[in-house]
Amino acid sequence: MKLWRHYVVVVVFLGACTGVAARVVYLNVTDRDFLQQQGDARSIRVESLPAYRGVIYDRHGQPLAVSTPVAAIWTDPSFVQLSEDAVRALADVLNLDARSLTRQLAAHADREFLYVKRQVPWSVAERVRALGLTGVYIQREYRRYYPAGEMAAHVVGMTNIDDLGLEGLELSYDDHLRGHPGRKRVLKDRRGETIKNLEFIEAPRFGTDITLSLDLRLQFLAYRELKAAVAGNRAVSGSLVMLDARTGEVLALVNEPSYNPNDLGSAARAGMRNRAVTDTYEPGSTIKPFTVLAALESNRWRPSTPIDTAPGYFRVGNKLVQDPLNRGTITLRQALQKSSQVAIAKVALDLEPRAVFDVLTRAGIGEFIGTGLPGEAAARLSDQGLGNSVVRATLAYGYGLAVSPLQLAQGYLTLATGGLRLPVSILASQQPLRAQRVFDADLAGTVLEMMVSVTEDEGTAPRARVSGYRIAGKTGTSRKVGAGGYDDERHVAVFAGIAPARDPRFVMVVVINEPSGAAEGGGAVAAPVFGQVAARALRLLGVEPDAGVAI
Amino acid sequence: MISKQTILFVVLLLAVVGSGIQVALISHRVRLLHGDLEAAQKAQDAHLAEYSRLLLERSALAAYQNVERLAEQELAMRFPDQVERIDR
Repeated sequence: MKLWRHYVVVVVFLGACTGVAARVVYLNVTDRDFLQQQGDARSIRVESLPAYRGVIYDRHGQPLAVSTPVAAIWTDPSFVQLSEDAVRALADVLNLDARSLTRQLAAHADREFLYVKRQVPWSVAERVRALGLTGVYIQREYRRYYPAGEMAAHVVGMTNIDDLGLEGLELSYDDHLRGHPGRKRVLKDRRGETIKNLEFIEAPRFGTDITLSLDLRLQFLAYRELKAAVAGNRAVSGSLVMLDARTGEVLALVNEPSYNPNDLGSAARAGMRNRAVTDTYEPGSTIKPFTVLAALESNRWRPSTPIDTAPGYFRVGNKLVQDPLNRGTITLRQALQKSSQVAIAKVALDLEPRAVFDVLTRAGIGEFIGTGLPGEAAARLSDQGLGNSVVRATLAYGYGLAVSPLQLAQGYLTLATGGLRLPVSILASQQPLRAQRVFDADLAGTVLEMMVSVTEDEGTAPRARVSGYRIAGKTGTSRKVGAGGYDDERHVAVFAGIAPARDPRFVMVVVINEPSGAAEGGGAVAAPVFGQVAARALRLLGVEPDAGVAI
Repeated sequence: MISKQTILFVVLLLAVVGSGIQVALISHRVRLLHGDLEAAQKAQDAHLAEYSRLLLERSALAAYQNVERLAEQELAMRFPDQVERIDR
């Protein structure tokens, strides 16, 4: 055994240990800052993967809202100071003003996240990437496009810049449409660029598409005619609702003024209200068919029963009910055709106190519909004071209650279906219909036949007529309530109609709010809109003419 | 004579080496699959972008205003104001 070999080993090991210790001290003390920074910079981050928002289609598969991928350009001013050249190049590519961008960067110099520009097309984002700027990042996001624009804006609604629903169905079906963003873990380098994807924690779940019951063709027609009518009558606003008489689906729902969801100017806010759903009006004479139905149900009245309306007015309690002229003795059918207040009030007072109210309730007027459109108004219909004959008389011709155009359409749906109540839906319905019988089929059919007389030459709405078809309907003109009771200047013109009268295909309600042109009242203002839209709609839907045809 | 312990040692050694190689292989495969996933997602993105672009393009070209204008102006079609029957 040679002792020197032992010492050599000991010395070598000691030397090695000293070397390692010295290196450790050196790295910890001298190089510490540099290494720390390097270590932090090569950090692991979790990134979010935005999910694609579902598409909204109309009933024929026409897209109403589509998301396309775009880019957001952002920077971290606290980490990187962009050089003047870099700012100029960036502003150039993004079409921004270089000086205001410089100011913006300086103002937020301590922030770690600042959007330079959002909703940039990918082609532009690629050019930003090609600049190779340190500290400028590209993030993916989506932009929502609405091909139908203002035509369907109130139903479809819109999203905000962060892809969250703000209005309309985009809001009420937001959870459904939105999907779920995914997450991934990435390794980033010193400059904040992703150098390696480590793992996918969660794949993004795309949003679900939804299909509406709207028919974009009818929506287009309705919007065009309504817009023309509101402008032509110098009205404040207008709404039109069309329901499928076979399924209860909403075929068209438009309001004017509207807004363009693709380009929100400052003026857009005013047009955002979905008046067909959120605003209620006193329906006026459009309620009369239900009063007539109540009369028929009592078995004491027939369409041909005479009513003496002379001298054209009569007093109920302290209220004077009057017609514009003395019509003498007319039948129940003519009372509806001419929209006689006196005759209808007399009929109502002859019936059981609750009869008219009961018919209105069964028709669904006064009930919340629950289509899912935000801001749906509750109708106002109450059985308070039915013991009072004034209340009964005014209810019979449509005052003392308030309904939205959609609710009125729902009420007329029970007449169009021959006494069946269908659930009103804005989504294309998949499940079998839960129809509920609320009126006798024969009586509802009789009322529908009587309503055809309204669009005859002697009726109040010959202008709602469509050549080749028999149209049932009823006009309504209601005074608006002003500061001191009913206002003689401002009124709402309504026409509610069903086409064609035999085997109805749709129910349409037209409401023109505060027309101030030469024409006045439901027959002159609202009925022509019905006629125009119905003429096209009947042919679009391929409905066979049911009236005598001139060949 | 090989002892029982030696045999156990060799078996365990082989197991350790084997699982070590497996770890390396699996992580390699993970990397490859990761690459595939990434490529697939890129492709999906591109398809989505293309799909939404085409959807929008179609709805712009087939907008009813457009169709109506073309029918009336270029094809000289008109909307019948009366119901007309064409017998063949």
